Amino acid sequence: MLDTLETLCCLSGVSGNEDEVRDYILERVMPFADEIRTDPMGNLMVFKKGEVSPDQTIMLAAHMDEVGLIVTDITDDGFLKFAFAGGIDRRVLPGKRVYVGESRTLGVVGMKAVHMTDAKERKELSELEDMYIDIGASDRKSAEELVRLGDTVSFDDTVIRFGDGFLKAKAIDDRVGCATMLELIESRLPCDCWFAFTVQEEVGCRGAVTAARSIQPDVALILEGTTAADIPGVKGADRICRLGQGVVIPFMDRGTIYDKALYGQLTAIADKNEISWQTKTRIAGGTDASVIQRSMTGVRVAAVSVAVRNIHSPAGVAKISECEAQLRLARLFLEDMAKA
Amino acid sequence: MNMELTELTRALSAIPGPSGFESPVSEYIAEYVRPFADDVKIDVMGTLLAWKRCGKTGAKTVLLDAHMDEVGFIVTAVEEGGFLKFSTLGGIDARILPALEVKVLSEDGPLFGVIGTMPPHALKAGDSDKAVDADDLYIDVGLSQEEAEKRVPPGTPAVYAAGCDTMAGGRLCGKSLDDRVCAAIQVKAFEDLCGRDLNVDLCLMISTQEEVGGRGAVTGAWGADPDYAIVSDVTFDKGTDGKSVATVLGKGAAIAVGPNMNTAMTRELVRLAEEKGIPYQIEVCPGRSGTNAEEIQISRLGVATALVSLPIRYMHTPIECALPEDMESVRRLVAEYVASMEA
Repeated sequence: MLDTLETLCCLSGVSGNEDEVRDYILERVMPFADEIRTDPMGNLMVFKKGEVSPDQTIMLAAHMDEVGLIVTDITDDGFLKFAFAGGIDRRVLPGKRVYVGESRTLGVVGMKAVHMTDAKERKELSELEDMYIDIGASDRKSAEELVRLGDTVSFDDTVIRFGDGFLKAKAIDDRVGCATMLELIESRLPCDCWFAFTVQEEVGCRGAVTAARSIQPDVALILEGTTAADIPGVKGADRICRLGQGVVIPFMDRGTIYDKALYGQLTAIADKNEISWQTKTRIAGGTDASVIQRSMTGVRVAAVSVAVRNIHSPAGVAKISECEAQLRLARLFLEDMAKA
Repeated sequence: MNMELTELTRALSAIPGPSGFESPVSEYIAEYVRPFADDVKIDVMGTLLAWKRCGKTGAKTVLLDAHMDEVGFIVTAVEEGGFLKFSTLGGIDARILPALEVKVLSEDGPLFGVIGTMPPHALKAGDSDKAVDADDLYIDVGLSQEEAEKRVPPGTPAVYAAGCDTMAGGRLCGKSLDDRVCAAIQVKAFEDLCGRDLNVDLCLMISTQEEVGGRGAVTGAWGADPDYAIVSDVTFDKGTDGKSVATVLGKGAAIAVGPNMNTAMTRELVRLAEEKGIPYQIEVCPGRSGTNAEEIQISRLGVATALVSLPIRYMHTPIECALPEDMESVRRLVAEYVASMEA
């Protein structure tokens, strides 16, 4: 699973431009799928038969897109101006490498040398409109040969395993969910299942809206990477969730109050199988569950997430064992549903 | 092991060597210059001196200097949860720190680390409009407190975890181009000059601890005891550093003019650049140059000192940018100057 996750994190898939991720997943699932659907939004939906066919339609969902930037203008000097696709704290940008457009042109988010700033300036944050990407072009014309307006920009894609079983990568949110679903599709399933690889989650769960209508599930399990704020200076419940404390099973976030019975079912399965789990100690973030739950006449939803530090930055960090635990718990959930 | 200038720059950029912890860099350069130098020494401060003597009686000594250290970090404490508190080695703008990747140079090998940042989802309104305070930041190496205390004790240095990449137009982009790029330039100029018939004794000095105040140049210049010195360091770019800067990336070697520099040497550098068609620009330094030229000029009883700089962008970040054409201009100008010196 780890290799799959690392490969997925290296692909570019900023919201609205998930093609690279979808193409990769499509190629992997082709030999294993019983039915494959795509839709005008760009969602990829995969059906695979299992050992039993429950009365209820079960859907697993993970989003393919990642947060990133989008080129909005090119200056006369050949610098790129940009906006955000998804929620990004602009403080993570100065001094970072990025890749621009299909040409994967290397760019950097530049800033004035520290020597040329005064103490007051160093306490001030540049406005987004004053930030720029430098791609090594000397003027507008040479920049235009490499980049078009609307090109998406993704963070540096170096993947590193470090410390006591940690993984550093961009886009762990939500390639971890995609990796879990890929592994399930490539294995024997306990029951029939739909897998929705959705688009545009980071810009408002837009892909999941149409995917849910296409599949019309009774039960949906969202597989996510979620917000961990377990860094020094943040105390107690404000940490939301903590790396090393197990997979995250939320009862509520800013988009959804999750189905109580499914929440109980998942936590019971985890306890029985000695899978460490935690819940979110602060109501923060949201998932595709928000729109899936309110599809048609309503869908029962639950989520199993992996805690990610420095989420929505180039240096997301997850505990590898917790990525594997997400896969294990999702499989056990399907086994449980097969018995019902 | 002959390497081209950009290739040598890349190799040097990859070596971790923050101020005070430069020995891997000096070892690499010592090995590189040993085949063609008469003599290579590393002094108590870690500064490397390599000699090439011309064998002529009464020959003057010319010093070529660039510094080998890079800005970095130093661990000051291991906090609860194994997070590392740190200070900087040299000037780093705290605004580049959130989500920055670093290489922690523990004694049993490098450890990857990231400087943590709050998830945007958990920020209060207005939080993300404030610049971070370095005192609130920590390096996360993914180790328990107990393990971190064992492997990353206070005093462990760290550097940017970045390589040296090539951008569109052939521009180099990486960490520690300040001043490995000029170290590579001086090494290549020295290598070139070692094969020529010179009228002067030549001393290559690659100095330590420049980023914390020109310290390695103080002892190195004393040991070299030169009559003349040509210092090479990086300088700023008007395009990104603002209107107060006159030097521009792509316009060639920046010849410094001002009280820190010897006027006769500076004028000769300009004359030579014109004569040989080497692209150059003038950088006026009305006071301090902020380079080793300050220490070298007042070494012993005084040294006639010139400064030939290379404009780069984004100094002291992991994305410093330099142009190979400019690098070549600096290298050629330094070499031509020394080669043209009379007895």
